[in-house]
Amino acid sequence: MPPLLLIDHHNGVPAYRQIMDQVRLQIATGMLPPGTEMLSTRALSAELALNPMTISKAYGLLEHDGVLERRRGQTLVVRETHGEEAHVGRIEPLRNQLIAAASLARQLSVSRPEALRLFKEILNDETK
Amino acid sequence: MNAVTDISAAPTVAPFAARGITKRYGNQVALQDVTLEIPAGRIVGLIGRNGAGKTTLLNIVSGIVLPSSGTARTFGVPTDRLDTPQLSRLGVVQQEGGTISWMTVRQHLDFNASFYPTWDRKLEQRLLGELELDQKRKIIQLSTGDRQKVGLLLGVCHRPALLVLDEPMSALDPIVRARALDLLLERLRDDGCTVLVSSHILNDVEKIVDWVICLDKGEVVADSAFDELQESYAEWILSSPAGTLPTAYPEPFVLSQQGDSRQARLRVCTNEYNAAEKFASAFGAQVQKRPLNLEEMFPLLTNCRRDAR
Repeated sequence: MPPLLLIDHHNGVPAYRQIMDQVRLQIATGMLPPGTEMLSTRALSAELALNPMTISKAYGLLEHDGVLERRRGQTLVVRETHGEEAHVGRIEPLRNQLIAAASLARQLSVSRPEALRLFKEILNDETK
Repeated sequence: MNAVTDISAAPTVAPFAARGITKRYGNQVALQDVTLEIPAGRIVGLIGRNGAGKTTLLNIVSGIVLPSSGTARTFGVPTDRLDTPQLSRLGVVQQEGGTISWMTVRQHLDFNASFYPTWDRKLEQRLLGELELDQKRKIIQLSTGDRQKVGLLLGVCHRPALLVLDEPMSALDPIVRARALDLLLERLRDDGCTVLVSSHILNDVEKIVDWVICLDKGEVVADSAFDELQESYAEWILSSPAGTLPTAYPEPFVLSQQGDSRQARLRVCTNEYNAAEKFASAFGAQVQKRPLNLEEMFPLLTNCRRDAR
């Protein structure tokens, strides 16, 4: 089952960026475990109705960043990561969301203790 | 960032290249000193307002009209010397006309097929179905939309290496338009066909293009990878409850502005990292930023010469 990627063509975010973000997120959540074979550029381009150039740019950058690696010739797979690197990869999507939340907190003049209390409260709510 | 391996190894000759071309009709200037290159294996969107020179440029690419001055080369050959080896690899879909109206769709397909040894009957059959065309009908009886479908079939069934389309989908319904877009992507995937398409339907264009050329009053005002445009153009909403925002923003990267001392909406073009945050903090303001889509970018692209400082 190939990863389900959804591209919004009209939000102004380059499609290659959307692919990269979604692949990273799926790896972080375990949807794409290490060793998973990615669809070929051609197949993904057909599936998403996107220019093959866009797919190869996203794949190329993910490979460059060490998220994917090439195996047995051309197949791209999810690279296995360990320790600190794996941890950073996993929390990165959350970190990005929190950067936006922190900016909003400053804009609303919400104090630090209040913002932290709110985040803890939400975390606790979710686990109930 | 740009050290990405390209799947389509760049061929040595660009499918089309123009050096300083100008085209005049009487004393009307349609194109003014245009220099550009269409990169191979890309889908290039040609955009611009009415009368910007899009059709003239497309007609120069296909050799239908010649530039008044400058050099235009298609597949490396000056366009006044295009011959069978080039023309057989060129697919042209004109805005209107270009068809013989008394023929049936079937007759017209056979007529065109007779010129091309590479005509692909299987592709033709599939597209007749996908585009929902009745091959028994006469061209003259067809709706504008159905005529555009015929134009598409006539342009692609010989599997060209360069496909030039002038507003090919303006009269198609959304379902068929989506299939037509898929068709262009498929030509690129299957044959490595370079596609040059003009359109006012920017929502369609941005789904498939990876390169954008924008003309304004006969001049090139943008010629860039689409990703790069998307990463340069943005909207910044500045807010300052204390009312510390200035009345005007003279910075050249601010292309449009509205608002007051408490809140302002800017449309900007900049590649600088964290530019928004630095800019906002200089005014003691907070900033929210978002990228612009092609439709939002379009007025900024076509105005940029008048705003140029």
